[in-house]
Amino acid sequence: MLLHIGVVRLDVDGHKVSPWHRLVPRTRVLCAGLVVFAIALTPNGRWLTWAVYAVALLSLVLLSRVTLPVLLRRLAVEMLFLGVVVLGALFRPGEDVLWQWGWLRVTSEGLMVLGSVALKGMLSLLMLNLLVITTSVPALLQALRELRMPALLVAILASMSRYIGVLLEEVTAMQRAAQSRNLMSHRRWQRLVIGNMIGALFLRTYDRGDRIHRAMLSRGYTGLIPVPNLPIPTRLDVVALTLMAVLLLLGQAIYLV
Amino acid sequence: MHHNPIHIQQLSYAYPDGTEALREIDLAIAPSERVALVGANGSGKSTLLLHLNGILLPQVGEIVVGEQTVTPENLKDIRNFVGVVFQNPDDQLFMPTVWEDVTFGPMNQGVRGSELERRACVAMQSVGLEPHHYGPRSPGNLSGGEKKRVAIAGVLAMQPQVLVLDEPTAQLDPRSRRQLINLLRSLPITQVIATHDLDLAVELCSRTVVLSQGQIVFNGVTERVMANGAFLEDHALESPLCYSRPYCLLDHRPSEHLSPNLLNLML
Repeated sequence: MLLHIGVVRLDVDGHKVSPWHRLVPRTRVLCAGLVVFAIALTPNGRWLTWAVYAVALLSLVLLSRVTLPVLLRRLAVEMLFLGVVVLGALFRPGEDVLWQWGWLRVTSEGLMVLGSVALKGMLSLLMLNLLVITTSVPALLQALRELRMPALLVAILASMSRYIGVLLEEVTAMQRAAQSRNLMSHRRWQRLVIGNMIGALFLRTYDRGDRIHRAMLSRGYTGLIPVPNLPIPTRLDVVALTLMAVLLLLGQAIYLV
Repeated sequence: MHHNPIHIQQLSYAYPDGTEALREIDLAIAPSERVALVGANGSGKSTLLLHLNGILLPQVGEIVVGEQTVTPENLKDIRNFVGVVFQNPDDQLFMPTVWEDVTFGPMNQGVRGSELERRACVAMQSVGLEPHHYGPRSPGNLSGGEKKRVAIAGVLAMQPQVLVLDEPTAQLDPRSRRQLINLLRSLPITQVIATHDLDLAVELCSRTVVLSQGQIVFNGVTERVMANGAFLEDHALESPLCYSRPYCLLDHRPSEHLSPNLLNLML
């Protein structure tokens, strides 16, 4: 279950000191966005480009002094999900058959696509994990707002991050209450009760949303969350963004010459 | 200061399904007064409170807050005038950090920069929270008492003239409850406190309003209604402990009337 989310701290390395940490959150989000886009938009099979990006990312990981075991553990868990999703790519139809068993065929093309997509996913996840480990959720949300993400969308994300713990507490409380009355006796019955719980949770969430909105209105909410004073970007931010852009273009240029 | 910050005349309200929640309420609250609003579950306390800052608008009757009638055009001023602290702090604290939550109200008023910082710091200090320690924390990880104090700070930062509290001591442990009572006593503004905690009403409020089935059945000196156990029971309430058990402590016993045998038995 996901019942541990409420207690997990996402930004374990939020308070370290490094050049990466000295960038304002907006620049970090922008850098991460650029990297992910560049990685994802590179056509399949351009291994050298990704090698350049991988070297750049690894140096960034070292530079930002994140706790490596945490980073690797998260990456491993996420790669598991990714692996299941991309496995289908292996059995693409193609000319050059490497291995066959009944109707299952592995082609060299399938292998190339699988490798490319898995590598793209891994590098992107590495970048995003680095961002989340080093930047607190409020700072991330603020950065998204500064980058002109619609205010309502940011507000929805903010309340999600605030209330997921409260909701999980409610789920746990309901589960315990059901277990205290010996819920787990019967499979079919159990499914029925869990269905009811989800329904109850939905209604409660709806009611809670209503109460939260009332509390917001009574403190003068007019439909937009007000924006506080923003951290001012320094020369370091400009340098970091420029460097990142140059590096990304360099990676692409390998196949142009 | 206004001579009557809140003035309610002939207020009635029915829910969309037809249930009558409030019937012909007449109530005036004087400046710097602390009024307890007591009543059974479903007696209309919360509905009345939601009228005080225009979350619900009067269907029949009129409410004047400060110098303004509660109408949709005046809502902004009215909500700056009346601050409401809701029962469940989790409903009220929705921003990712304590600091952002406390500054939410004043920022909606258009306060920015050093004035914003000053207001938030003053509000947090007045509820006994150290701004630099608590500011960056997430409201989700605070204790119940701390959450309650953050919720009150968020309302105080708007500098309201009237503070309205819904069940302020529900779900608080005795020490947090005591701290909250001391805090409310130290705040110099007008307060309306809806509560089941009649001991709190006796301690804090000079006047008590008893609601029963949407009507005001008593409006007067707190001590007078608390001493009337039969009346309270009629309206699904109960005399506060400090009235119903005057001799809980041995120190308070009228010792000359007790025989030594009985005293031994008690000890």
